[in-house]
Amino acid sequence: MKKLIALLVSLMVFSALSAQSARTVTGTVVFAGDNEPLPGASVIPSGSKTGVVTDIDGHFTISVPEGVNSLRVSYVGMATSEVSITGEPLLVKLTSADNKLNEVVVTALGMKRERKGLGYAVQDLSAEDLNTDGTTSLASAMQGKLTGVDIRPSSGAPGASSQIIIRGARSFDGNNQPLYVVDGMPVESTPDYSTAASVTGANIADRSIDINPEDIESINVLKGQAASALYGIRASNGVIVITTKRGKYNSSKPVITVSTNLSAEVVSRRFHPQTVYSQGNYLSDYNPTSSLTWGPKITDLPNDPTYGGNGNGHDGMYYNPKLEMAGLDGWTTPQNYDNVGDFFNTGFTENTNFNISQRTDRASYSFGISNSYQKGIIPSTGMTRWGARGLVDWTIDKQWKTGFSGNYSSTKITSAPGANDGIMNVVYSAPAEYNLKGIPYNVPGDPTSQILFRSLTFNNPYWWANNNQYLQHTNRFFGNSYVEYHPAIDWGDNMKLWFREQAGLDVYTSNYTDLMEVGSAGTTQGSIENYGVSRNIFNNLFTANFTAEWGDFNFDAMLGNEINQDNSRWWDYIGTNFNFYGMPVIANATSFSSSEYNRKSRTVGFFGSLGLSWNSMLFLTVTGRNDYVSTMPRNNRSFFYPSVSLGWVFTELEGLKGNDVLSFGKLRASYAQVGQAGTFYENYYYVPSYEAGMYAYTPVSYPVAGVSTYVPYYVVYDPDLKPQNTENVEAGIDLRLFHDRVRLEYTFSYQNVTDQIFTVPTAGSSGYQYKMTNAGKMRTLSHELGINVAILQHRDYDLNLGINFTKVDNKVVELAQGVESIMLGGFVEPQIRAQAGNTYPNIYGNAFKRDANGQLLLKDGLPQATSDSQDLGNCSPDFVTGFTLSGRYRRVNLSTTWSWQQGGRMYHGTNMTLNYFGATKESLPYHEGSMIAEGIDEATGAPNAIEVSKQDYYMSYYDITESGVYDMSFLKLRDVTLTYKLPKIGKFEIDVFAFARNILLWSKLPNFDPESSQGNGNMGGYFERFSVPNTSSYGGGLKFTF
Amino acid sequence: MLKKLIYMAVIGLAATACTEDVMDNINKDEANPPASAVNAKFQVTDAIVATAYSGWGGAYAWYVSSYTEQTFGTGNNQAMKAELRMAGETAASSTFDNEWNGVYGNLNNIYQIIGKCADGGLNAGEPDLLGIAQTLWVLNFELLTDLHGDIPYSEALVTDQPKLDAQQDIYADLIARIGTAISLLQQAQAEGINNTGAQDVLYGGDPGSWLGLAYAVKARLMLNMSVRDSGALAEAITAGEAALAAGFNGAQLSIFNGVDCDNSWAAYNWSRYYIGANGTTADLMAERDDPRLDIYAWDAFGSGYASAPAGDAVLAKSTETVGLPMWLENGAAQLHIFSLSELHFILAEAKARTSGDPTANFEAGIAASFADYADAALETLPDPADYIAALGEHTLGEILTQKFIAQARDEQVQTYNDLRRCKALGHEYITLLNPCNIQAGQNQWPLRLPYGNSDVVSNPSVAEAFGSGNSAGTYIFTENVWLFGGSR
Repeated sequence: MKKLIALLVSLMVFSALSAQSARTVTGTVVFAGDNEPLPGASVIPSGSKTGVVTDIDGHFTISVPEGVNSLRVSYVGMATSEVSITGEPLLVKLTSADNKLNEVVVTALGMKRERKGLGYAVQDLSAEDLNTDGTTSLASAMQGKLTGVDIRPSSGAPGASSQIIIRGARSFDGNNQPLYVVDGMPVESTPDYSTAASVTGANIADRSIDINPEDIESINVLKGQAASALYGIRASNGVIVITTKRGKYNSSKPVITVSTNLSAEVVSRRFHPQTVYSQGNYLSDYNPTSSLTWGPKITDLPNDPTYGGNGNGHDGMYYNPKLEMAGLDGWTTPQNYDNVGDFFNTGFTENTNFNISQRTDRASYSFGISNSYQKGIIPSTGMTRWGARGLVDWTIDKQWKTGFSGNYSSTKITSAPGANDGIMNVVYSAPAEYNLKGIPYNVPGDPTSQILFRSLTFNNPYWWANNNQYLQHTNRFFGNSYVEYHPAIDWGDNMKLWFREQAGLDVYTSNYTDLMEVGSAGTTQGSIENYGVSRNIFNNLFTANFTAEWGDFNFDAMLGNEINQDNSRWWDYIGTNFNFYGMPVIANATSFSSSEYNRKSRTVGFFGSLGLSWNSMLFLTVTGRNDYVSTMPRNNRSFFYPSVSLGWVFTELEGLKGNDVLSFGKLRASYAQVGQAGTFYENYYYVPSYEAGMYAYTPVSYPVAGVSTYVPYYVVYDPDLKPQNTENVEAGIDLRLFHDRVRLEYTFSYQNVTDQIFTVPTAGSSGYQYKMTNAGKMRTLSHELGINVAILQHRDYDLNLGINFTKVDNKVVELAQGVESIMLGGFVEPQIRAQAGNTYPNIYGNAFKRDANGQLLLKDGLPQATSDSQDLGNCSPDFVTGFTLSGRYRRVNLSTTWSWQQGGRMYHGTNMTLNYFGATKESLPYHEGSMIAEGIDEATGAPNAIEVSKQDYYMSYYDITESGVYDMSFLKLRDVTLTYKLPKIGKFEIDVFAFARNILLWSKLPNFDPESSQGNGNMGGYFERFSVPNTSSYGGGLKFTF
Repeated sequence: MLKKLIYMAVIGLAATACTEDVMDNINKDEANPPASAVNAKFQVTDAIVATAYSGWGGAYAWYVSSYTEQTFGTGNNQAMKAELRMAGETAASSTFDNEWNGVYGNLNNIYQIIGKCADGGLNAGEPDLLGIAQTLWVLNFELLTDLHGDIPYSEALVTDQPKLDAQQDIYADLIARIGTAISLLQQAQAEGINNTGAQDVLYGGDPGSWLGLAYAVKARLMLNMSVRDSGALAEAITAGEAALAAGFNGAQLSIFNGVDCDNSWAAYNWSRYYIGANGTTADLMAERDDPRLDIYAWDAFGSGYASAPAGDAVLAKSTETVGLPMWLENGAAQLHIFSLSELHFILAEAKARTSGDPTANFEAGIAASFADYADAALETLPDPADYIAALGEHTLGEILTQKFIAQARDEQVQTYNDLRRCKALGHEYITLLNPCNIQAGQNQWPLRLPYGNSDVVSNPSVAEAFGSGNSAGTYIFTENVWLFGGSR
């Protein structure tokens, strides 16, 4: 609405430039909801800095300088309106800020269409809708706001990756993330490197981290394939269309905005270990090297036969050899330490943005500089991001228009590892009597000899923080420039023809370093791996556009071509076995290996679109696109994608027009087909290395003994590979009731994916492990419901409720013939898999052995695991619902965002392992005594009568993966923000705000926040093991506009 | 008009940007060569390394050495579960999936080498290379079938879902192939051919050395056949003597330096610390006052536990407590594909069973083992003569016990074969002591290893053989492989 008005006003201003004189203008400002006057509304001549405010009756009188033809009228909580001066007294009706019905929305390839006519669902978020405070991540700024979109953050760590999946997955093991389009150009948003099985190393950020959420003016989410089909092959996963901030209102002086927010982060849900029992494998023995806490009571340690001090001159004390290793007195008095609390820092996040923008009759510009700084809750982790951007739109004359948009960012992230390289497990499982923080982490004088309560298969987390590092550093520029040509052809006002050429670049270099100092667990001689990618993506888009009006008919057509060329260079330099400690650089290494790889890909698309509307009631759009893709085999590179959509605004029917109850109603339906290409190569040989399985490092890499080798690659490529196809049928209804106070949007979507391209896991006996081919089907049914209710609407206060409900049923119909399931990530066992006949994805691992009635089959009184992995539950939730509830009273605004996820399962390895270790409070009743477990004795078939120790039972139980599978249901208060708009001080508008994120959580998962997990791929969100935890933030900020 | 021309030119350019040739050129994989560009001598390097590293000296050996009580699984994770004979570990298809895939992957490489040696291939007319490849083929398939029984063979490496072949048929083909390899290597030796040179990291391309190994492999195949074929022992003796005559001095990989190229056992040890010395083996040495004991059972952590009694739950669940063989701390130790001592013990056993005189081979086997222990542990050992003298009569039991001790170094897979074979022959020369071998009255000592998970989930014939639900994998406790008295 705002944009449309601004556009209209600027056009009018343009046409009336000649008639100017100083004069006095009067008028009244009312609230459109009830036509009540608005006292205190601000009225400013366009382009001016000062104005007047309305009186108690909403009246104003203002002297307008020469050359100004419009007024800008604003009021807290309402959409700012720009009205032209007519000479008559003005009546200005302000509407609530979120009334979007008549707005023009940007659809595929920048085509602008009326929102009310769209034949498919789109959802947009304005800058105000995003929860940008206290986060640096766009994904987390959007959480809880969208229907049909599943956003799964990997953790609360700075730079943590997120999975964004629109209407379920389309690819079993490939990319399911939407395409990001910034200011008309597609930009890379997926991670540079997949964390693959996601059981080693640290998380790797996705490239949407380079987008500063504060730079965003609006986000338009194209969910269905009909909405995105014009983007072709890259858009089958939906599109996130981002428009960055630009000059908003016509003014003679620039508008400067400076904003900053600061926040503190703590662990959103902190694990509290049991503090009764000490380190040890059994109640009878304290064991100062064990990883378990099944030992004697801490208070009984002085009585321990081996390590106790009672009776041998150290009464009340016990002996811990690790203390002596650290140069301390080995004898110590039992006491409890808060090892988990000690380890976490209070995190810190700062976001500062400076922006200068202006809009004049013929040009608008916006330039900004931003900085984000984060210190993670885990020592040595953090993120720094600097950004600069500039954008100019310039109308040269009636025929020519040009402009550019450029964004630079530098993002540096240091992160912490999980799973096999984890440090959190060490913190969580540290025995309460061991002072993890206080006892030195290395032998005095020898920084390479770590000291830890347990074996050094894992690092001491403090040693890790002071010595090792996972670093990611990206420098990036993306932007484009365009020229529009509107030829002066005398066809009358009814027809318009114009051409647009846009060329853009997305260029970045990412450098990664994985550093292990001398003395690291598993890599005692130290190693450094410097790897990275340099990418250069060129995108050219040319379109020819035509619009026409004939009576009740409106017609538009577009033809175009897009070329996308991606050149990348990948490198990996590894140095191992440092000469000495303290210089962890590649120059200090004594063994080296390296690789470099260049890769190119190109997509060329030709497309067209036709739109026809009748009487503002029926809207029909047909599109088609043909793509040619280099990454497919010869003769299988060309694909055609059609779409058709129809919108029927039935409230335009004579009988329904002007209805007081139903103010707007639309039925919409669409059909589309889009595809995804694979990554095809001619079958090839490669240089193998030995690193998987039990090895914690790479013991053998070629060349060895001066020779290298080539062997067949373990993936075989199908030369008949063809594109996978997604068919989508979507239908929905939009209703607005009671003068738009209630808005309801419902969408049903059916997606049918056939000819899935994926690396089909093959029987090892075929000689290959995977075959890249077409196989399998997947289908998705989704229901999306969005309800917005303006519960209260008054000039002084309002209360708005938004509910967005999403239910996605994403089913793997079949995989390749004979293939039961495929791995998406995890260990040898358990894994996250896609399993035929199951909801995508599911947890796959060892189950409890049970009889036909579901009773545990016990052996010698203890639970047993099945020998083969089984389906242990579906990951995807039954439904997710987001709530936003916001209220305003005069200048104070309070908004909250809630998320409710029902159902869905995850593997939570940390809970399971800590139970097994005897470290959880849940384990407390099992540390002493014996029991007869419920179940059937497998040997006799009779109910179990064998008595076992409770500890044995508990450990056997939590050794079986099924015990680590948890319901993920939760309700979370994601965000609460309180904003106070200060009365204008001089020319300064000041907003003061305070916020808190992730502060309340009710979850079925014990001990931990369910939104913390391993991996940046399709398994993300569902597989947890010693992962970096999620955080809560508390902060505040200021925003100056002048 | 000019503008129209420009537009047409733009569209024309766009159209030529996507011709098949242009796209082919863009999609060219510049870093990885197609099969046709690689001379098979470059493939043979990893074919050898993988045979030792992911085959005979990899996780198969780490697991079965716990079953044979030549190592003790500790460290409170997978090896502990194997030590305590937890079926969730020992019978799971996921346990050996990496090795299953690794060995078949290596066989695919060997298969393609053999293909390139055929007429018209890149390496046609290279009998030395073909003989090496055939020998490696036999070594790898022998490993798979000895451990898993019936496996995909005739359709393996050719189709996506190969059927299972009977072990009897597989063995027949392996014996025939090793015969082919022997003739090819004899031919290459006679012609003085060396096509692999330094790419052969085992023997530097010397066909004579490979000939010795091929004969040794034949001797072992025949020994393994002795349950099924009464004439096999005589053939084992013939082949074994031929190996010695060809100068066989063991097949051991010596590419390791302990710095950036580590022996698989040391790498596993350093990655996990899951291996301890087993009391069963240590006791056999102690009973004989064996000087190798101090190398085998070394109290590395100063815990007082130089070794652990087989199946001791407390020690299995402990970390960095149980002592371990010294060579596990030597990353440069040689890794055996087939040791000289093994060949001598094969000969000694075959002779003892067929009324021959095993003395020379028995003594040579012990001497070779002494040298191997000392070399791997970087220690010195006394001359074995006194030790041998003290052993007294060279009974069959003592021969097999000495072989057991020798193979505790890194050849436990063959010990696992020997234990199962001798049991089938009605003569259990080593008493296994692990109390977890019988649980709730049921056998929990694996008679074989479960199939790899990739075939269990992607190959219907293997899935059927593996079983499903509660019975999945349980056949490994009840059914012997055909070689050792079973039917599959």
